[in-house]
Amino acid sequence: MVAAAFAGPLVYLVVRTAQEGGAPEVLRSETALGPLTRTLLLAATTAVACALLGTTLAWLVMRTDLPLRRLFRVLVALPLVIPSFVGALALIAAFARGGLLDELFGFDALPPVRGYWAAFATLTLLSYPYVYLPVAARLSALPPSLEETGRSLGRSPAQVFRSLVLPQATGAIAAGALLVFLYVISDFGAVSLLRYDTLTVRIESARLFDPPTALALGLLLAVVALVVVMSERGLSRRRVNTEAVAAGRRPLQAPLGVWKAPALALVVGVVGIALVAPVAVLAQWTLRGLGEDRAARGVEWSDLWQPLLNTGGIAVVTAVVAVAVVLPVAYLTTRHQSRVGAVANALVVAGFALPGLVIALAVVFWVLRAPLVGGLYQTFPLLVFAYVVHFGAQAMRASQVAVSGVPRRLGDAARSLGSGRWRRLRTVDLPLMLPGLGAGAGLVLLSTMKELPATLLLAPTGFDTLATRIWSATESAYFARAGLSALALVALSGVLTWLLTIRRLERLDA
Amino acid sequence: MLRRGVAALLAAAVLTAGLASCSTSGGGDRLTIYSGRQEELITPLLEDFSDETGIGIDVRYGDSADLALLIDEEGDRSPADVFLSQSPGAVGFLDAGGRLEQLPVKALDQVEPRFRSGDGRWVGISGRVRVLVYNTDAVSPSDLPQSVFDLTDPRYEGDVAIAPTNASFQDFVTAMRELAGDDRTFAWLEGMEANRAPTYANNIAIVEAVGRGEIPFGLVNHYYNEEVLAEDPDAPSANYLFPNGDIGSLVLVTAAAVLDTAGDRQEDGARLVRFLLSRKAQEFYARETLEYPLAAGIEPVIEDLPSLSEIESPSLDLSSLGGQLIRTKDLIEQSGLEQG
Repeated sequence: MVAAAFAGPLVYLVVRTAQEGGAPEVLRSETALGPLTRTLLLAATTAVACALLGTTLAWLVMRTDLPLRRLFRVLVALPLVIPSFVGALALIAAFARGGLLDELFGFDALPPVRGYWAAFATLTLLSYPYVYLPVAARLSALPPSLEETGRSLGRSPAQVFRSLVLPQATGAIAAGALLVFLYVISDFGAVSLLRYDTLTVRIESARLFDPPTALALGLLLAVVALVVVMSERGLSRRRVNTEAVAAGRRPLQAPLGVWKAPALALVVGVVGIALVAPVAVLAQWTLRGLGEDRAARGVEWSDLWQPLLNTGGIAVVTAVVAVAVVLPVAYLTTRHQSRVGAVANALVVAGFALPGLVIALAVVFWVLRAPLVGGLYQTFPLLVFAYVVHFGAQAMRASQVAVSGVPRRLGDAARSLGSGRWRRLRTVDLPLMLPGLGAGAGLVLLSTMKELPATLLLAPTGFDTLATRIWSATESAYFARAGLSALALVALSGVLTWLLTIRRLERLDA
Repeated sequence: MLRRGVAALLAAAVLTAGLASCSTSGGGDRLTIYSGRQEELITPLLEDFSDETGIGIDVRYGDSADLALLIDEEGDRSPADVFLSQSPGAVGFLDAGGRLEQLPVKALDQVEPRFRSGDGRWVGISGRVRVLVYNTDAVSPSDLPQSVFDLTDPRYEGDVAIAPTNASFQDFVTAMRELAGDDRTFAWLEGMEANRAPTYANNIAIVEAVGRGEIPFGLVNHYYNEEVLAEDPDAPSANYLFPNGDIGSLVLVTAAAVLDTAGDRQEDGARLVRFLLSRKAQEFYARETLEYPLAAGIEPVIEDLPSLSEIESPSLDLSSLGGQLIRTKDLIEQSGLEQG
């Protein structure tokens, strides 16, 4: 059932490509090859960079005595909420020649912010939280005895991390890196503004006047995603996981010693470039337009409440629904080796690699053709459904990591004591999985808050979110209005991420 | 062990979202508008229309091309009655698909033939003129070219930003083909490529880059720099119109059309189109959105902008010239500009 819903976009692409024809020529020609190579290069390198950065940050803020770590736990997650077109515009405005940094400090020998390196850096800074959140959840669930053992054997914090902690987190790291890979191949905003010619750029430019090309390239994207998901699945089978601990002693906080200053510099640097720099640019936009003519430029606080409520409301609902829907699939695929489970997993996860426009049009295609559900068209439940299909992958991979951390013998013990399936799930499994599920929910939450194409096409009429507001204002060059809405988005995401995710990781650290 | 906090958060979320969706569910005889024009540029007018006529309206905002694809995908079950497009391309796509109704002559006659479709199925409501935006610190007025064709001259090497994947640039190239022919257009595209014209994603990215001093010139619509100056009067960027009816400064229109799915609401849709061409609406474009009014004899209010009659402009009749845009895209792609 679940898998069938998630297969919708893929089947849509196949049906439409077949209708239009022309796929073989497009895929054979050089039109596809160059962008495909660039897409894969960018996605693979960004995934590796995010794995390194996200894991390091997670360890520093979760399991060391880093100063201000409780604040950084939230801040480090937030770059994910910045829509990539805003992130790219803001990073260009901050770092390009004549930009904010140049103006403030007189850096004028900066390289042009465009091409592969710019896209790589921007996407790394905006998407490392895909790794950070699952890894932080995993680390928060590891027993302190691990590190105590290592420390008692006289190893340094770095050695303990490498030899004892890291192997326990590989599942979460791989999960996050896969999400980064899929996100990068689906991104359009950053690569188009930074002039890196990938498949999505080609799809976007062909979508109206050359549908056969756009559809064939969309299908190519889906195939790449499926291949990557299945091979990652093959690799992740072999991992072993130490069991999670639910409550009890707080984890040992590794003392950083002389590394405290460099570690702090790293965290501050990342937060500075990925969050503070864009926020500074957004604040500059807002202030610039706050002249005497506020109303005319649409910069009114009162105007912000409705999109703020809409954004928060639908994001929380989507996050919870997504976790609830994929949890059974995560159980099935983690606890049992079934072919059905593997297919379901691939379908759910690959949905994340498709551009939001494809997901939205596929939902339109199916809903208007299916019996009975036509009345749901452009309603709140349908929009949530589209989000879940698009972002289910994030909840899925985080849930799988969480499920695999639950020791089976606990369940067996509970069963021998006569507790039923639901009771076991509620009292044994769920508490242990909560950090991991919270991480999955947090990822879905942040992604939903910034989603644009599906929101514009499928939301109930008149339902505007902060993301649609930002987009509209940017398109009409109302920068002050765009800046204000983007600042509200970052602030809201901070509050919700703390409530939904970070708070749950901190239960051992109170 | 779902904590009470999350449960409360969820309940609150469902409640607000539920209320939001209930209050807006349209239907019946309300007019549904899919608008590629952003809220900032049309909402006050649509509200006026509703107040004046008593016709209820539901508006969905989005990217013009995406909304056109949506209407196409929805087929005969589309809830949309009226489509407002930010570019001739998107509305032309629906026209070619046979999705537009004939507009009343009374509406069409408000604008010159060059600003509406030849088959009478869509009409321009406001205009944006193509300009050369330049950095006033880096460029002296004597360096400004007389024609867009001069930009292939080696003295502009690496200095002129363009947005080859953007709809407004593509519409401009289509118009150039119509006025100057494919050969001359292709030679110009190749000349820009040979001159290493840097490419950007869209008009905004170019205007920002010119304002920063990253690049001295850029080919854009006049609209964006006017808006930037409205918020930041000190920005060192200015619009320049190519003189003597040069093709580099032609007018591109934003358009309105009534869809074939309007049914009973076709009349109301046509009424909205006429309203968007009324004196009140045309004044709104001139004063509030800093665009060119196309009807009612209203003049633009921006200093230094010539009146419409001084600007040459072909009618971009995308409906009768099916396949034009794909040919334009091919030419741009062949010139190598897109990779830049």
